Amino acid sequence: MTGGRNRRPLTGWAFLAPYAVAVALLVALPALLNVGYAFTDHTGLTRDPRFVGLANVRRLLDDPFLLDSLRASLLHVALAVPVRLLAAVGLALLLAAPRPGGRWFRVAVYLPTVVPDVALAVLFLWVLNPLYGPLNQLLGLFGHPGFTWLADPTTARLAVVLMLAFPIGEGFVVVLAARRLLDGRLYEAAALEGCGPFGQLRRLTLPLLAPVLVLLAVRDTILTLQVNFVPAYVLTDGRPANATLYLPVYIFDQAFEFSGFAYGALISMVLMAVTGVIITGLLLMVRRWRVLR
Amino acid sequence: MGGRGEIRLAELTKSYGRTTALDGVDLEVRAGELLTLVGPSGSGKSTVLRLIAGLDRPDRGRVLVDGQDVARVPPHRRAVAMVFQDYALYPHLTVLGNLTFGLRVRRVPRAEADRRARAAADRLGIAELLDRHPDEMSGGQRQRVALARALLREPSVYLLDEPLASLDAPLRFATRADLLALHRDLGTTTVHVTHDQAEAMTLGDRVAVLHQGRVRQVGPPQQVYDEPADTVVAAFLGSPPMNLVPGGGVLGGAAGLTLGVRPEDLALDPAGPIEATVEAVEALGSEAVLLTRCADGTRLTVRTGPRPGVRPGDPVRLRPDPDRIHRFDAATGRRR
Repeated sequence: MTGGRNRRPLTGWAFLAPYAVAVALLVALPALLNVGYAFTDHTGLTRDPRFVGLANVRRLLDDPFLLDSLRASLLHVALAVPVRLLAAVGLALLLAAPRPGGRWFRVAVYLPTVVPDVALAVLFLWVLNPLYGPLNQLLGLFGHPGFTWLADPTTARLAVVLMLAFPIGEGFVVVLAARRLLDGRLYEAAALEGCGPFGQLRRLTLPLLAPVLVLLAVRDTILTLQVNFVPAYVLTDGRPANATLYLPVYIFDQAFEFSGFAYGALISMVLMAVTGVIITGLLLMVRRWRVLR
Repeated sequence: MGGRGEIRLAELTKSYGRTTALDGVDLEVRAGELLTLVGPSGSGKSTVLRLIAGLDRPDRGRVLVDGQDVARVPPHRRAVAMVFQDYALYPHLTVLGNLTFGLRVRRVPRAEADRRARAAADRLGIAELLDRHPDEMSGGQRQRVALARALLREPSVYLLDEPLASLDAPLRFATRADLLALHRDLGTTTVHVTHDQAEAMTLGDRVAVLHQGRVRQVGPPQQVYDEPADTVVAAFLGSPPMNLVPGGGVLGGAAGLTLGVRPEDLALDPAGPIEATVEAVEALGSEAVLLTRCADGTRLTVRTGPRPGVRPGDPVRLRPDPDRIHRFDAATGRRR
């Protein structure tokens, strides 16, 4: 048995190695290179990027498109994260209890998550079509003339949020599983004390799920800042009036459309900083509620 | 709310899927009484509590509280407080939060709710725990919190579902005494469910023995112990259980009878009529239990003083107390 104690950490590292190597090569190294490129004139086309100091940063501070892009991204997060969480949590709590046919509803909620983003976006091109799209026809039933969804800045932003309100399957199953783990006796005890369904939701379910909800909010913030690329690219290409020029779209435009690889690298650092700030704010906010004991 | 807390269960029947939990239960709990509901696991004890509390609806039969049929009364209007076996404390709330939960739901102002919670905590000796969360307490402390929460309901009926089952033995003994004292102070009707015979014997004014969804016998503990209504009750109450022997065997009696004798009513006596061989000796400190086998293969359990002076393999003679031999009908199991 000699050497067993020494071997154990090595075994751990050995198991970790494939993943660690992949992370180092595919994530850490490119991220470091990205930081380096941000201070060059790299176009992505030539092999000899030159160091240009803070030139890109000066350009950044003076870039009206970046302001549009930041505004688009922040508005999107502020709207999409609550909508997506509300949909995932609401549907999960409604469908958590076992009842006849429940599994079909659960499948229906998860299904859009399985659809590739591009396919969903193409589907929404049809849904949002002002002439024959079902959404405007639905509004027509209530006597509303409908919107030119993707031609108006406000409705275009809403349209992207609407599309992203459907692929919520992952959050949905997490809440579903977490809710089913809660002890049914707590609800019986609460019922005996006169706590009705809404009281139980407010006083038991939500506080008990709080750690899961915070986790989902953090995850969804990170996700939402990035996954709006596909719908924006397919539906609006950043238009109208830069209303959907989300940071990932702008980074893509700069890096690959305008051959400003270095500048794109710098904006991606901005995206990372924005993500970091929002999440820190979120965690500071919930720390007061002491949900992450 | 209020009321004297008299409960009558009439032909209560309840099935869960294909399992019949209760099969026509008739039971009366007198106002102010402490009734212990005892039976093996799966006998339907907890179901009785759930039906009284209104957490489940009976398939047939009625629950009457103070003469009123409560079929259409929701749980929180039934003036019952329940202590669950695992206590069902709210894990995200402190003890104070747990105690004031119901009061706050019923819109008692915070200051008043706090005051009442502190008084209840004082009464049960958990005043110093008010800031703790349930996962920071021992089983005994959690049990007290659950009791305090029930006290704050100020109910007409307490329903206790195996409140002592999760405690270790010394604590269970102490808490049993506390429960008794609490009931004596409050004088509130209490239904106490247990599968523990010691609790059944010591706690209740009366004990009801439940078996396979039916009430087999109700009465003062000693009476049920001394005169079990049938072989099921005889075999369940008492530890070690009563020796049951077919008629015509070592205890005599006619065929068609089952005879029973409790281990403590069998004495070692060199002149005793029953010949047996000791198979095992269980020395329990304050007493000893002998497992013996008679010539015809009948096994008899004997309770003796702490040092019986016999060893496995020794031949012994046993004398049953003739006044304490129970006779049951072999076919129905009923007492004759």
